[in-house]
Amino acid sequence: MSQTEFMRDLHSAATSHRGDRIFNRVITAAAFTSLVVLAGIAIFLGYQAVPAFQTQGMAFLTTTDWDINTDPPTAGILGMLYGSVLLSIIGLVIAVPASLLLSIFIVFLAPKKLAAGLTNLIDLMAAIPSVILGLWAFYILNPTAEEWQSLLNQYFGWFPLFENVSGNFLGTPFVAGFVLAIMMIPIITSVTREVLGRTPPDLINASEALGCSLWTMLRYVALPYGRGGIVGGVMLGLGRALGETIAVFFVLKIVFDTNWYNIIESGGGSVATLIVSRFGEVSGPFELQLLLAAGFFLFLMTLVVNMIANLIVSRTGRMQK
Amino acid sequence: MSTVIFESASIEHLKDETPQRPWRKKPTKFTVSVFLAVVVPGVIVAWLFYSSMLPGAIIAVVIYLPLQLFAAGLAALINRGRRSIADSFIIVLSTGATVFTLVILISLIGSLVVRGFRALSPHFLYQNSVYINPSTPLEYGGIGHAMIGTLLILTIASLIAVPIGIATAVYITEVRGRAVAYVRFFVQSMSGVPSVVAGLFILTIAVSTGAFNQSAFAGGLAYAILMLPTVARTAEEVLKLVPEDLRTGALALGSTRARTVLMVVLPAARTGIITAILLGIARVIGETAPLLLAAGNNDGTVTNPFGQAVSSIPVYIFNNVALPYPDAVTRAWGSALVLMIFVAVLFTLARVLGRGKVGKY
Amino acid sequence: MNPEEGETVSTTNYEEIATLKDRVPVPVDSAELAMKAQDVSVWFGKRKILEGVYMDFPRNSCTALIGPSGCGKSTFIRTLNRLHELLPGAALAGSVLYEGTDIYDPEIDPVNIRLKIGMVFQKPNPFPSMTIRGNVLSGLKLSGMKRENHDQIVEETLTSVGLWNEVKDRLDHAGGELSGGQQQRLVIARSLAVQPHVLLMDEPCSALDPASTLKIEETIRELSRTVTIIIVTHNMQQAVRVSDYTAFFLAAENEPGHVVEQGQTTEIFSNPQDQRTLDYVNGRFG
Repeated sequence: MSQTEFMRDLHSAATSHRGDRIFNRVITAAAFTSLVVLAGIAIFLGYQAVPAFQTQGMAFLTTTDWDINTDPPTAGILGMLYGSVLLSIIGLVIAVPASLLLSIFIVFLAPKKLAAGLTNLIDLMAAIPSVILGLWAFYILNPTAEEWQSLLNQYFGWFPLFENVSGNFLGTPFVAGFVLAIMMIPIITSVTREVLGRTPPDLINASEALGCSLWTMLRYVALPYGRGGIVGGVMLGLGRALGETIAVFFVLKIVFDTNWYNIIESGGGSVATLIVSRFGEVSGPFELQLLLAAGFFLFLMTLVVNMIANLIVSRTGRMQK
Repeated sequence: MSTVIFESASIEHLKDETPQRPWRKKPTKFTVSVFLAVVVPGVIVAWLFYSSMLPGAIIAVVIYLPLQLFAAGLAALINRGRRSIADSFIIVLSTGATVFTLVILISLIGSLVVRGFRALSPHFLYQNSVYINPSTPLEYGGIGHAMIGTLLILTIASLIAVPIGIATAVYITEVRGRAVAYVRFFVQSMSGVPSVVAGLFILTIAVSTGAFNQSAFAGGLAYAILMLPTVARTAEEVLKLVPEDLRTGALALGSTRARTVLMVVLPAARTGIITAILLGIARVIGETAPLLLAAGNNDGTVTNPFGQAVSSIPVYIFNNVALPYPDAVTRAWGSALVLMIFVAVLFTLARVLGRGKVGKY
Repeated sequence: MNPEEGETVSTTNYEEIATLKDRVPVPVDSAELAMKAQDVSVWFGKRKILEGVYMDFPRNSCTALIGPSGCGKSTFIRTLNRLHELLPGAALAGSVLYEGTDIYDPEIDPVNIRLKIGMVFQKPNPFPSMTIRGNVLSGLKLSGMKRENHDQIVEETLTSVGLWNEVKDRLDHAGGELSGGQQQRLVIARSLAVQPHVLLMDEPCSALDPASTLKIEETIRELSRTVTIIIVTHNMQQAVRVSDYTAFFLAAENEPGHVVEQGQTTEIFSNPQDQRTLDYVNGRFG
């Protein structure tokens, strides 16, 4: 190799090195987009929440009024924040046992082909847009659920949870929670199915050799082994339920008074749905700011739930390796 | 010697051996009791279903389930003793949960097909709704404008989210910078951002900067926020499957890191990357809340991505669901069916492409 | 190869070790058998793994199953406590008797069989979510078996595997904290807590270091006074050290495995009747 060729080679090596440096910078910058967006949401929405706090103070979080035309206007989203939590709890009460049982069926009971088919169907179910779920719930679920709830009230109305004074069984937290459960089942199942499926064959063998039954194997071996992952999956479902807007919009009557526990009484709250339902008829820039502030707290709530969920899932994922 | 102790070893085996599965043979008691445990509650409930006015779901939960649990528990007790009662409950309950989920899924898909099919016609797919009001009969109007809007918004979202998502995955699997754990954590956290918050965020930027207003561009930005984590996470999984040999091979030939990624790793993961994009699109295609806030609505066809509110399939459904006009509601079901078909096609394509093709040329 | 040479090697190598054994097995009749395999053949799907195995397991003895990999030894012992049937495609012919009863009788609950005939696996597999104490008692929980005085069970079983002194101060620590050898002894203790009459061991030392192996072997010798032990091993020294009887399995290429020769361990190792056995115990193949 001649001297000049050699120099040219070195030179081009340096260029390609520079190319690598640029490439690395671009990639690294792009990788931090998610952080920038998260920070952006926090800053922009947080900034918009300032006027709401200036006029309402802590009352924005601790009261339930929403009267924009009074002077001074009053606004509080306690009922909405609490409503989001109540709906999610109702959803979890239905979705968690259903998801666990469903994954037990898929992993331990179903023949291989059926299990594969069910897995595909459940994954497809996770892909159903919430607006379609809302449409279905509004026309198909609502009339049936009305009947269930009035029967429930007829026989168990003495129990505070199932009180209903208005006689109206439409737009209740129960139905909204049920719809959220339908959304959560595929999300939670996909995690728990995988977690249970990863129970080491070693341990299952050992349990069989010790004379286990399906129940004792689940109770003492598989469920404790996958506990972290299961909790994480439930939290992921919860995060999704807290932020769900459209499906709830069609089946919940938004009322500002906090509905504490009458789950089959018409009317309840949900921050996410409040934003969409008020947005169409927003009375001015101030009410828009109130909605943005509500969005800010919704963001914080779901962010915390999701971060905890992901920490749990990734930690157990590491442990299982 | 050995033959003395192991007396049976001297037996000559002349038997014709056939493989058997003796554990599948069940005693008659077992077969009969399990048969009864399945049939008796079913018959009782079927009779109740036809003779009483109670809704099916109530019968299933309040009468059938306890009855079936009792029958299964009894059969288990008779055959295998107390220890197996819990097992029989699990079998009944988990089968029940599976049936419950399937019933909902079938009801959902079934009602979509049955109710939505009536709205479908060629003009429904290409006409817009400029001269259409909720009471206009089904012979007129369609969701052409909403499909174009959705397409426009998805294109913008993909143009933004796909490169960034893939770059994020490349950072995690190829560049392997110091912040890998953090980047992955932020991406996961971002996947939990509620869709309505994504819409609000874009709206806030629009309002506070005045740079743009409700438009396909704004809707695309909101969609991109929701799409990015899905693309990034799927692409990460896909890139992890690319064999390490390919990378070291390319580097050993004197290729730079950048060239290795662009010319070797990404092409090797081509189908997987497409899967990631498809899943990203499937994730957002039905999202309504962000478009209500950021893209708005429009009865006419809009092709300009900036400065003009635009319709989309989800928003079209949203606006027609609760109207007191049967034809408008049928339109909602029809467009929901179209949307669901899109989702199912994307989902199936992603499944078929994603099946073990990754890492091959 | 020169058979005389082989003879020399085998006598010098093994007779010496064999005489160290503390028990001399005596011939038994079928009334003293814990288990008996009659013409057992095993399939996975269409593939026949094992053919026509007849074998007797006298009570409170230790039988070693030796032979090269893939000759069906592990599959065979899994048929002895009905774990075989849990694998997909499993099938079998012949019968397995435990104390004179066919364990594959449809009337018999496999759980009861597995409790009487315990099993220890190749890799130590204590339950990671349980403490040491919880692991010992796990069999009681998993099978729903009722036994009084759990503290005593824990102490007795851990003592019998020689682990009590090492772990008695940390019974509430996770089982996974122990070393590999300790874990394997914990697993043996776990199997003993349900009071099995037979203990199957599938290469229990293959994942362990020599020191741990010696300890496990001691444990096995000790246990075989009260429990019938059937052990699969690749280590011929180990077979000589722990077992009273030995069976040599072999599979020709694409043929199902079968038993070439079986009998008292001393006989098999010092005076094998079959050339293949002689070659195998002298390490000429496998």
